[in-house]
Amino acid sequence: MLDREILLEKMRTTPYLPMKAKIIEAQMVTSKEKFFRIQLENKINLGHTPGQFVMVSIFGFEEAPISVCSSPSDKGYFELTVRSVGVFTDRLHKLEKGDLVGIRGPFGRGFPIDNMFGYDVMIVAGGLGIVPLRSLIRYIMSNRNDFGNVQILLGFKSSKELLFEEENKEWMKRAEIKFNCTIDRADSEWKGNVGLITTLIPGVDINPARTYAVVVGPPIMYKFVIRELLKKNIPDHQIIVSLERRMRCGLGKCGHCQVEGVYVCQSGPVFTFNDLRKFKGECHEKAV
Amino acid sequence: MKYAILKKSDLNHWLKHLKDRAKLYAVRKKENLFVFRPVKEVQDVCLDYIPTILPPKKYYFPQKEKLIKFSVQPFKTAKAIDKFEDFILFGVHTCDIAGMQCMDVVFREVPEDPNYLNRKDKMTIIGIECLKYCDQYANCTSMGNHVPRGGYDLMMVDLGDKLIIHINSEKGEKLVTGLDYIKEATQGQMDLLESTREEKKKIFKEEFTGPLTKVYDTFDKSFVSSVWKDVGRKCVACGNCTAVCPTCYCFDTQDELDLSLNEGIRYRIWNSCQMDDFAKVAGREDFRKGRDNRQKHRYYRKFKYPVDKFNRYFCTGCGRCTRACMAEISLVETVNSLLREEKK
Amino acid sequence: MKRQSKPKVAFFDFTDCEGCQLQFANMGTALLELTELIEIVNFREIMSEAGEDYDIAIVEGSITTDNDIARIKAIREKAKILVALGACAATGGINGIKNRSSLDLAKQRVYGDKAGQINTIKVMPLDAVVKVDYYILNCPAYIPEIIAVLKAMLLGKPYPLPNYPVCAECKMNENVCRYEKDQECMGPVTRGGCNSWCINKGNRCYGCRGLVDNPAVDAAKDILQKYGLKTEDILNSFTLYNDSQGAKYDQEFK
Repeated sequence: MLDREILLEKMRTTPYLPMKAKIIEAQMVTSKEKFFRIQLENKINLGHTPGQFVMVSIFGFEEAPISVCSSPSDKGYFELTVRSVGVFTDRLHKLEKGDLVGIRGPFGRGFPIDNMFGYDVMIVAGGLGIVPLRSLIRYIMSNRNDFGNVQILLGFKSSKELLFEEENKEWMKRAEIKFNCTIDRADSEWKGNVGLITTLIPGVDINPARTYAVVVGPPIMYKFVIRELLKKNIPDHQIIVSLERRMRCGLGKCGHCQVEGVYVCQSGPVFTFNDLRKFKGECHEKAV
Repeated sequence: MKYAILKKSDLNHWLKHLKDRAKLYAVRKKENLFVFRPVKEVQDVCLDYIPTILPPKKYYFPQKEKLIKFSVQPFKTAKAIDKFEDFILFGVHTCDIAGMQCMDVVFREVPEDPNYLNRKDKMTIIGIECLKYCDQYANCTSMGNHVPRGGYDLMMVDLGDKLIIHINSEKGEKLVTGLDYIKEATQGQMDLLESTREEKKKIFKEEFTGPLTKVYDTFDKSFVSSVWKDVGRKCVACGNCTAVCPTCYCFDTQDELDLSLNEGIRYRIWNSCQMDDFAKVAGREDFRKGRDNRQKHRYYRKFKYPVDKFNRYFCTGCGRCTRACMAEISLVETVNSLLREEKK
Repeated sequence: MKRQSKPKVAFFDFTDCEGCQLQFANMGTALLELTELIEIVNFREIMSEAGEDYDIAIVEGSITTDNDIARIKAIREKAKILVALGACAATGGINGIKNRSSLDLAKQRVYGDKAGQINTIKVMPLDAVVKVDYYILNCPAYIPEIIAVLKAMLLGKPYPLPNYPVCAECKMNENVCRYEKDQECMGPVTRGGCNSWCINKGNRCYGCRGLVDNPAVDAAKDILQKYGLKTEDILNSFTLYNDSQGAKYDQEFK
C-alpha cells in the first residue's frame, strides 16, 4: 500500500488511534520554541499539504493540534516547531531525541497550492505564523518553477524571537526570492527593519490580479495586514489566511474549533478572505 | 406483515421476550420525571411519559466513552472497545428518533466516527407515537416531528386496549413474528389508526408563529439582535440545555491513567459550547466570548448551520432545553421573539 | 513507572474538622496502591510516628491565627510541593462565616468575657499566605478527585481546577434538577469536578467547591429569587463556603 493509502485507511477505521512516532531530532530554537523532527512508524511519509496540522499525543496529557513546518518534499520525516504555552506543550518541550509520541493526521485543508500554480506569491508571516508558512516556503523552493515572483515578509516582536534564522539567511540569498524581515521593537543586536509588519506592505511591488497573498500570524494581526493587502487591490479570494482555533478531534465533530457553521479542523485552518467575509460576526480575523 | 397488533394485556409478555433477545432499555419514572434505564422489571416500563431527562443519545453517544487504551512504557495503543453489544431502545418518542437521524448525519459524514456507528449498528428502535402533547414546552409540530418520519424498526400507536405496530425493517419484523399474541392488523384496526391520526391533527398545532422556512430566513437575518442580549442576560451557563439536547454532540477528550501511572484510557466526555473554556485556545484567547454569543451559537446550531450543511433542522421539538432551563429561557419564545422582531 | 525513591508525604492540619484527612484514610485499596508511589511519613489519622523530613506537604484547614501564618510558611519552606486538601485549605471553606462579622464581635460571641485572651485573625485559605501547587476542593474532599490530583502531581502535571459548573456533571448523571423540585441549589455557579456527589445522593449543592471562574451571578440571583428566596438568603447561600474569598467576589455578591 502507498503511504497515503495507509493513512487514509487509518483515518477511516481508527481515526482516534494515534500512530507511533519517534522524535529523531529536538532542539530549542528560541527561549520559548522547540523544534522537533519526527518519524512515523515504518517511516511512512505524512504526505501533508503545507498548512495542514497534526494532532500530537502524549499519553496522560491528551493531544494538541500542531502545524507541520516541513515541506511534503522533505521525505521520511516531518517537522514541528512548538511554543510552550500550556500543560501539553510544556510537556512536549521536555521530550528529546529518541522519545515517542502519538500522531494523528494530517488534518484540515492546507494552502491551495494547486490554485497558486503560475501566480506570484507574497508570504506575510507574523511571529509564530512562520511555522506553517515555512512548510509552504520550503515547498515553493523545491518547486520553484511552478510559481511566479515570490516575496517573503516576516515580522517578529524582537530579534530574540526570530525563528529559522539560518534558513532566513538562505532565503535572503536566493536571488529569485525577495525577502524582507522586520521587528516591532529595535534592539542592539538587530541590523534590519524596525516596525510592524504592516509597514512593509505599502512598499512592495506587485501585480495584484496575479498575486496570492498568504498571511499567517496572531489573530490580532490579520485585520491590519488584510487592510493593507486590500489597499493593494489583491482580490478577496487570493488573500489566504490560516485560523488558530481549539482543534480537538480533528474530525469535524467535537465542536471546539467551530466558527459559525464551519469546522476549522476540516474546512480550514486555511481559508480565503472571501470565505471569512461570509461569516456574520464571530470571526475575529475578519474585521477590516 | 406491515402492521401488527398487540393487546396491552400482552405487553409485558412481549417486553420479556425482547429482554431475552438483547439488552433492553426503556423509560421508567425517576421522582417526578422520566429516564431511560435498562429494564429490570417489565412492569416498570412507561409508555406515557414526558421526554426523559436525557435523550436516548446516551446509549449511542455515552456521556463518557472509551476511545483508546494506551501504555506509556512501552508505547502501546489500541482501540478501547472491540465488541459492541446488541440493544433495543423501547418506547422512543418520534422527536427523539428525529434526533438520532440528526446525529447519524453528523457521525456518518466523512471522516466517519466508528465508535458511534458501531453502537448504532447494534441498535434496534421501537418507537411510540404521541397522541397528545407531553407538556407545554414541546414544539414538535413546528419541527414536523410529532409524527413518525422513518428512522425506526417498529413504531407503536396506542389504540385504546391495543397497540398497533408499524413494521419498518426486517430487524423489527423478527421481533414481532412467531409470537402467538402478536397478530397481523385487520382492516378495522387500520381504519382506527387512520381516525386516531385524524383526531391527533386537531390537537397538534404549530408552536412557532411562522413556518420553518420563515424561521430559517429570520435566523439568517438575526445575527445581531437584542433577543440574544436578553437570552444571554438570563443564562446562567449551566450547560443543561446542551446536555439534554438530542442533537448536541460536542465533546472533549481526556486521558486517565491508572495508579501504575503507565496505563490508561483516553475518553471522550460530553462537553458544552455554553462553558467558559469551550472555545479558548492554549494561548487563552477566547474565540466565543459572552453568554449571549454562546446561546446564539446553540440556537444557530439548531436552526441555521445544519440546515445549510445537511438540509436538516437540528431542533427536534422535544422541549427538553426549555424544560431543563432553571432560568426559564424558552426555545419557543426565543424563536417567536426573533420572528416578531423580524416583522417590525 | 518505576521510581528510584518514593517522595515523602506529610499531612498537616490547621482550622478544620480533619474530615478530609479521614477521606484520605478511607480511600481503600487506592491508598494501598498509592503507597507504592509515595511514602507517608506523617499522618496522625493512620500512624503514630511522625517523620520530620518530607517532599510533599498535604495541608488541611484554613488560616485563622498569626501562629498559623508562621507555621504554614515554615511548612512551605520545607516542602517541594504543597497541596491544599479540602475546602478550608483551598478556598477558606465554611470557617469563612467568621469573616461576616467583625473579629471583636466574633470573639465575643464564641468566648464571651474571655474574648480578650483569644488571638484570632480573618479566615484565609492557604494561598492567601503561601503558594499552593495543587488544590483538592470539596467539603469533605471527594475521593476520586484526591486520586486524580495526586496522579497529576506524581506525573508532574498541573491539575487545573475544573471550570464548569456542577450542573454539567449533574445532568450527565441524569439527576432530577433540584429546581424542578423547588429547592434552591448552588450547582449552576459552583465549580464542578465532584461528579455532583451531593445531588446524586438526593441532597442539593451548597457551593462547597467555590464559584466557577466567571459565575453568572446576576442570572443566578434572578433564578434564586424566582424560587422565592430573599436577598439575604441568597447572600447566605452564595457565601456559606465562600466568605473568605470575599475580596474576589464582594463586588458581585453585595
